[in-house]
Amino acid sequence: MAEKKFEEKMKELETIIDELENGNTDLEESIQKYTKAMKLVKECDDKLKQIEEQVNKIVLENGELSDFNIES
Amino acid sequence: MNQDKYLTISALTKYLKFKFDTDEHLRTVFLKGEISNFKAHTSGHFYFSLKDENSKINAIMFATNAKKVNFMPTEGMKVFVAGRISIYEATGGYQIYIDKMEQDGIGDLYIAFEKLKQDLAKEGLFDPAHKKPIPKFPVRVGIVTAPTGAAIKDILSTIKRRFPICETILFPALVQGENAAADIAKKIDMAADYQIDTLIVGRGGGSIEDLWPFNEEIVARAIYHSKIPIISAVGHEIDYTISDFVSDLRAPTPTGAAEIAVPNMVDLISHIEQLKIRLKESVLSKLNYNKLLLDSMKSSYVIKTPMVMYENKQQKIDLMLSKLKTLMEHKIEASKKTLEFLSKSHILVQPQHIYEPKMVALKQIIEKLELLNPMGVLKRGYTLTYQNGQLVQSIHDVGNEPIEIKFYDGIIVAKEIEKVEQ
Repeated sequence: MAEKKFEEKMKELETIIDELENGNTDLEESIQKYTKAMKLVKECDDKLKQIEEQVNKIVLENGELSDFNIES
Repeated sequence: MNQDKYLTISALTKYLKFKFDTDEHLRTVFLKGEISNFKAHTSGHFYFSLKDENSKINAIMFATNAKKVNFMPTEGMKVFVAGRISIYEATGGYQIYIDKMEQDGIGDLYIAFEKLKQDLAKEGLFDPAHKKPIPKFPVRVGIVTAPTGAAIKDILSTIKRRFPICETILFPALVQGENAAADIAKKIDMAADYQIDTLIVGRGGGSIEDLWPFNEEIVARAIYHSKIPIISAVGHEIDYTISDFVSDLRAPTPTGAAEIAVPNMVDLISHIEQLKIRLKESVLSKLNYNKLLLDSMKSSYVIKTPMVMYENKQQKIDLMLSKLKTLMEHKIEASKKTLEFLSKSHILVQPQHIYEPKMVALKQIIEKLELLNPMGVLKRGYTLTYQNGQLVQSIHDVGNEPIEIKFYDGIIVAKEIEKVEQ
């Protein structure tokens, strides 16, 4: 599932930042981690910004999906 | 006529009211009866009577309490009430001031609810270990509720507002009435086939009967067996149903469920922005630190002037050499002085000073010894007399044998002896 990837990416991103902030990694490792983290940031950002607004769906009696609009 | 014994109506009424109000048995009274003459005033207060076959009591329920009644009281409805009995002074009529009112039959429902709750709890359906975590960033949220009404509207608008990139799929279900429970359970089962990340199951507020399908065992089991994490959202915040206990998370209202189900996009984006800043800063500060460290090493004295290391050593050697030299010179000087002193010493210059006094002393001792020598005495003219080799000290020691008289330079042997006693 694509969603799981997003959640995992966010978690990984936070873990990397925690590690970097704690300062126990050496410089070379830090830069590697930084590169990886920046990639994750971009991926998460893109994910949130690129997907278009979703249309609400309803499951019909026969199990098929149809657009669903609620009168407001 | 003595008027003092006549009371005013007010006084009597006050007295009676006091009697009612201080009577413990009248403070909390539980009554059951039938509603008649029901009137809901625009102020929100309820005015009606409660009656049974033979008797009747006026009843008032103030707006604050009336608001909590989750059904519409109607003529002839059988109800249970709790309240206090007091007197309304204006009419002098006693009445019940109702705090709480429930429909007859609710008691049975309550018992059924408690029993099912206990049974399911014993079976482990509410076990926290069985509860699934709610995904933080769902792509597709399923909703089991009625396709019309406030609940679905609230849920959809909340999701759209917070996390518009999220897909929603409604599984329309009957949410009240006889067939509702089975339908809700069926829709929960159906949701399994639609790659749903989180499922919201619920409905808007209503009477306890309206909410009842969510207290049915079939719904509880469907929720329990669902592989999809379920948020329950039944009625208002005060309403608790079996579904709430079985579901992975209970939301107070449908809107609340939507808020839990999806993150707020704006928050999320700013959170990622924050992470980006933290990331950059952590690496920058690391780089800066290392740069500073390198700079301070580069500018260190030793690195800048490597000769210093050599010079230091050379200097040390020189210092030690000069120390050594001085020490040796001192030593030689001291030795010279000692030698000079010794060579000038008294003994070496005039050694006779040591032995001359000793020679004199020796001579004296020898002279003393001379004096003590018996031979010396003989020299002065004394003699020693022996007979048979024995020194003679008295004339009585002398026999007729010859005696020998010893002089310092020889012996005279006398053969004729005449003893003259003195």
